[in-house]
Amino acid sequence: MSGEGDAVIEVDGVVTRFGTQTVHDGLSLQVRRGELVALIGGSGSGKSVLLREILGLQRPNAGSVRLLGTDMWNSSDEALAATRKRFGMMFQEGALFSSLDVAGNVATPLLEHTDTPPKLLPRLVNLRLTLAGLSADVGAKMPAQLSGGMKKRAALARALALEPEVLFLDEPTSGLDPITARAFDQLLAFLNRDLGLTVLLVTHDLDTLLSIARRIVVLGRGTVIADGTADEVMAVEDPWIQSYFSSRHTVTPATDPGRTAQADGA
Amino acid sequence: MADAQRSCWIEEHDGQVTLHLGGAWRLGALRELSQQLVGPGGLLQALPAQRVPSAIDGTALQDIDTAAALLLLDSLAAAGSDPATLALRHFDPRHGRVFEVVRGRFAETAVQAPRHKLTPIARVGQISAGVGTLLLGHVEFLGRTLVELSRVLLRPHTLRVHELFAQLSQVGVNAIPVVALVTFLIGVVMAYMLGLQAEKYGANIFVVDGVALGITREFSPLIVATIMAGRSGAAFTAQLGTMKLTEEIDAIRTLGLSAPQVLVVPRVLALVLTLPLLVFVGNVAGLAGAMVMSNLTLDITPQTFMERLHVALAPRHYVIGLGKSPVFALFIAIIGCRMGLSVSRDTRSIGINTTSTVVQGIVAVILLDAMFAVIFQELDL
Repeated sequence: MSGEGDAVIEVDGVVTRFGTQTVHDGLSLQVRRGELVALIGGSGSGKSVLLREILGLQRPNAGSVRLLGTDMWNSSDEALAATRKRFGMMFQEGALFSSLDVAGNVATPLLEHTDTPPKLLPRLVNLRLTLAGLSADVGAKMPAQLSGGMKKRAALARALALEPEVLFLDEPTSGLDPITARAFDQLLAFLNRDLGLTVLLVTHDLDTLLSIARRIVVLGRGTVIADGTADEVMAVEDPWIQSYFSSRHTVTPATDPGRTAQADGA
Repeated sequence: MADAQRSCWIEEHDGQVTLHLGGAWRLGALRELSQQLVGPGGLLQALPAQRVPSAIDGTALQDIDTAAALLLLDSLAAAGSDPATLALRHFDPRHGRVFEVVRGRFAETAVQAPRHKLTPIARVGQISAGVGTLLLGHVEFLGRTLVELSRVLLRPHTLRVHELFAQLSQVGVNAIPVVALVTFLIGVVMAYMLGLQAEKYGANIFVVDGVALGITREFSPLIVATIMAGRSGAAFTAQLGTMKLTEEIDAIRTLGLSAPQVLVVPRVLALVLTLPLLVFVGNVAGLAGAMVMSNLTLDITPQTFMERLHVALAPRHYVIGLGKSPVFALFIAIIGCRMGLSVSRDTRSIGINTTSTVVQGIVAVILLDAMFAVIFQELDL
C-alpha cells in the first residue's frame, strides 16, 4: 500500500472552454493521500466542471488529470475501470437509482465488482448504511420515500460501498438544515480520520469549511487563487475571498437584530 | 512464524486462544478469506468451545478494510465468540481504528428490514384493486375534464389560445408525415393482398370496393388512433409528469390558476380536433397507396380507380370512420393527461406511467372500435 503523503489527485495545466468562455486557464492542483480538501469559488468558476474532469466524466480542452496514478483522459479502458473501483462519488442530488430500494442501491457496486459471499452481503450493506449515518432499516425504503438529508446519506453509503480510497462530494450539505449539515460534516471528518479516506468536496457551506476542511482551494479567474488552511486563505488579498469570508463576520455578531438594523441604516 | 502467505491461523498459549491475521484483508479478497475462515475445513469451522479465539493478533497484518473486518467479526460471532469482548493485540493504530469502527456497528448490521412479500392470491387481489381504482380515477377525471371543457365553452375567453395552438401544431401538423406514410403503406399492402385473391376470379376491379370500405371505415381511424395513442398520449404523460416532478404544476396552483384549464383542456381539445383531420389525411394517403398498387399490379388505371371509388364508397362509411375518431381522441387524451398528473415524486414513475398510457390508449381504442362495430351492426349502418 502507498503511504500517506503521495499525490492521489494531480491536475496539471487544465484548460476548459465552453464556446468562447474560458472556465479553466491552465489550472493545476494536487491532493495528497489522507487530505480533506474543500473546493470553493464563485458561481461559474468551474468547481463542478473540475470535479467532472477529475472523475473522467468530461474531457478538458488541454492539460492532464491523474487520479490514483491513472491518467483519466489517456488510459486504456481496463486501467480506467480499475481506477473507478477505487474512488466513490456522491452527486449533489444523490443520483440514487430510483428503481431500486436503498439496500439495492448500495449493493449494486458490490454485486458488480466484488465476489462478496452472499451471506455477508446484507450485513455489508447495513454496515455501509450505518457508516453513512443511516439506521439499517432504511435499506428497505425506495429513494422516493427519503428526505433530502437521508437521500444524501444513502448516496454516501453507495459511494462508500467499494472501500474507496478517495471520496468526492458535490455540495454535500446543500439543501440540508444546519443540524443535519453539521452532522454530515462530522461524518466526513470521521471517514477521513478513522478510515483514512482522502476527501475532496465542492461546497458553499462556510461552516463546513471552517470546521472540518484542513485545506481550502479557491478557484477564480480560471485558476487557483488561494490554497491553504482557512486562516491562510482568509489572509489572501482578493476581493472575492474577502467578501466571501466577511459574509460570515457580518452574520455572526448579529445577536441583536435591532442593533444590526441600526448599523445597516447608518 | 509470520508467514506472509497465510492470512489467518490460531495459536494457543496458557489457555488463551488467539487468532493471528496476516497479509492484506481487503474487500477484493473477501471470498478467499471467507473460505479460509468458515468454508469447508475452514479455521473456525466446528470449533469446540474452549478453542474459540478470545483475542486477535495483528502483528503480521498489512492492511484491513471495513468489509474484511466485518467478515472477521461475522465469522467469529458465528463460531461462538463475543465480538464485544474480543481483545486486539499488536494492531497498527490505523488498523485498530478501522476494526473498532466496524465493531461499534456490528450489532446494528444484523438488522434485517422486514420485507412484505405477498402471496400470489394477494398479488392478484392487489392488481385487480389497482385496475379498479385506475378505471374509477379515469372516469372521475373524464367528468372533471368535461366540466372544465364546458366552462371553457361557456366563457371562451378562458381558453388558453396560445397553448391550444402549440398543441395543435405538435399533435396535428407534426404528425402528418408519419400518419401519411403508415396509411399509404397500409393501402399498398391491402390492395396487394386483395388483388392476389381477386385476380383468381378475374374480379380485379372489386379490389377498389374492398380497399375503399376497409380503409375509410376501419383501418385509417384505427391505425391513426393507435399512432396518436403512442405519439401524443405518451407525450402528454411525459410532459405533465415532468412538470409535476419539477413542481411546475404546484406553481400553477399556487399562482391561482387551474391546472386542468391551463394544461388539460388545450391538450384534449387539440387531440379531439386534430384526430379527425389526421384520419382524413390517412384516408387520402391509404387510397393513394391502393391506387398506386392497383395501377402497378392489377392493371387498374387511376382513372378507373377513381370512377369505381365514386360508385363503391357510400358516404356513410366515410362519415362513420371520421365520426369515431373524436371519441378515440377524447379517451387517448384523457388517459395521457391523467397518467401524467398522477405521476408520483420519482423519475421511475414517469417511465412506468408513460408505458401504461400507451398500453391503455391502444387497448381503449380497440375496445371502443369493437363497441362501435357492434352498435353500427345493430343499427344496420
